[in-house]
Amino acid sequence: MSELTTYRIKAIAKKELVEFVRDWRTIMAIIVIPLLMFPLLFILFPVLLESEAAELDALELTVIVQTDLMEPSLEQAIHNVSIQIVYEELPNLTVLSEPGEDLDRVRNLSVDAVLRFEQDNSTWNYAILHLSTSERSNEAWNRLLDALSTWESEEVERRIVDSGLDVNTTLDPLRWDGDVSQSDVATSGEQAGMLLSLFIPLVLAIWTYSSALQPSIDMTAGERERGTLEALLCLPCTRMELLLGKWVAVATITGVGVVLQICGLLFAIGYLASSSVIGLPELSVLTVALIVAAILLFAIMVVAIELALAMRSHSVKEAGSILAPMLLLIVFPALFTQVINLDGIESFWFAIPVVNILLALRELLMNRVIAEHILIWAGTSIVYAALAAYYASRQFNREDIVTSLS
Amino acid sequence: MQPLLTLTSVSKSFGDLQALDRVDLDINAGEVVGLVGSNGAGKTTLLRLMAGVYTPTSGTVLLADGNPVTKMRQALGVVPESTGLYSRLTAWENIRYHSRMHGISDKDAWARTAKFAQHLDMVDSLGRHTKGFSRGMRQKTALLRALAHGPSILLLDEPTAGLDITSARTVRRLVHQLKNEGGTVIYSTHQLAEAEQVCDRIVIVHNGEVRADGSPEELLKSTNSTSLEDAYVALTKDTARQRQEDDEKEGRFTGMWRSFFTPKPPATPALEVNEDE
Repeated sequence: MSELTTYRIKAIAKKELVEFVRDWRTIMAIIVIPLLMFPLLFILFPVLLESEAAELDALELTVIVQTDLMEPSLEQAIHNVSIQIVYEELPNLTVLSEPGEDLDRVRNLSVDAVLRFEQDNSTWNYAILHLSTSERSNEAWNRLLDALSTWESEEVERRIVDSGLDVNTTLDPLRWDGDVSQSDVATSGEQAGMLLSLFIPLVLAIWTYSSALQPSIDMTAGERERGTLEALLCLPCTRMELLLGKWVAVATITGVGVVLQICGLLFAIGYLASSSVIGLPELSVLTVALIVAAILLFAIMVVAIELALAMRSHSVKEAGSILAPMLLLIVFPALFTQVINLDGIESFWFAIPVVNILLALRELLMNRVIAEHILIWAGTSIVYAALAAYYASRQFNREDIVTSLS
Repeated sequence: MQPLLTLTSVSKSFGDLQALDRVDLDINAGEVVGLVGSNGAGKTTLLRLMAGVYTPTSGTVLLADGNPVTKMRQALGVVPESTGLYSRLTAWENIRYHSRMHGISDKDAWARTAKFAQHLDMVDSLGRHTKGFSRGMRQKTALLRALAHGPSILLLDEPTAGLDITSARTVRRLVHQLKNEGGTVIYSTHQLAEAEQVCDRIVIVHNGEVRADGSPEELLKSTNSTSLEDAYVALTKDTARQRQEDDEKEGRFTGMWRSFFTPKPPATPALEVNEDE
């Protein structure tokens, strides 16, 4: 590559990046949101859930208990879960679950739930009428189940004691000896690698595609629509230089976005686990180099395809209509590779586009360096990336990329 | 004298449309050549062929040294109709970007830009983002951008279209100045009066053909006309074709889909015929 070619590619990339940085909305979409997305999702969302749960816990609930004979210990168990009881006679029903005349008052929430309870020799039958679409009624249902479960356990223990048996040995005859976590021979680094292998390839794949979307469209169909492309095509730079310059710019933006999103993800996981459960994966220098190579090959392919398809489009709208649904071509394989068992995996999986890189990342994050797999995914990815780059260069060489400006 | 730019039997077609048909044209050094024609005549296609954006379907577009224009784009300065400025860059950044593509140092580009910016009254605007620029300022910035690398031929596609009187006059004055300095300018316009005022030579393009090529006096003489307008009308008597927007060249399915959702225009009422006439 000549010095002038390199200079032009750098000038094109620099100009694109300067334009990108000057638009705060794009910065928000591609830099700030990826950085904050996982921390917000993993930290703020649980806080919201906790506050919602606390609100439910504070609810004063009233339940109708329909029974002919109430067990005092059950009454105490229901009081213990903060439920007010109003007693009524058990109606004449074939089965207790049948709503009968209670249907309306449960539906219109004049009561939170109705517990029906009757003794049948040495057992009890019960049913809880509730409205599953109401938070109050659901909460009443859950609290009643808790109370009934507690009471049932006490009743079982009482019967075991009455039979002259030991409660612990009868209910728990098989026990784990020692600390469960002690018995896992995987190191904390390997465990971290396993955990991260479930997140990082998915994030990388989806975010590489989606963060390249907007800049790819802006730098191609956007230029076409705004009428800046014609002036650019009159310059001494070749179309290949133009493609490479734009590719470098999109890849830089995408790379920064992906790295920031992974940082946000790691921060969130670390925060949730109080930095003790998840450690750093144990990766050799070779593994890290292979991970970087895999990401680079994937980015070359994805960015080239997006630039090519966006360049084919006559307008930003058309490019968006083509590229946005194509995200599914990344999402489905990405989700699919999460469930593929890596132990004894057949080699052909490492030759399938998109799937190959995602599987490679999973393997590498688990520090599994298998030469055969590496050769296959590296070889096929180079071929796919080259094909994508060739296709993109063909699109950039089309004469009609200027004609829609007429 | 060897022409700076030579077009030999240049034809250009887009699918079924013959945009240009066997055009022969020589552009000599120091000339201001006006390409005059109606919308859709082929002026922009001709300029794009000269700029190397299009490749001729047949024929050649060669510079004086025998190289095709695509090999020597440094020789050209182009102002397309759309100006093509980046709105998030300043005027100077737009100019500098193109100069860098031409391999010109920022220092040299600035020296030339500063010189012409004074003539165009643009010195104070060079540091401003072009987003808020008027059409005139955009056109002037595009001119500065095209001149910054010192081209030997300047291609201007309707440079005064949409400009106010003062801005249009400033642009014309700059062209005069370039001519006085020995520059070569190819100037596309559909205004005959402007062409007469600015150009040494007028090339009338109609329906993809060159109908006339000469000085204003030569055009008057060859058509026995008293005004250039009469000469133009005499040379372009056949109906001008409609401009073919390339956007309209869409796939068959796209065309069918669009027409399915496009209502037909209301029927034209039949004219009443007076039987007495």
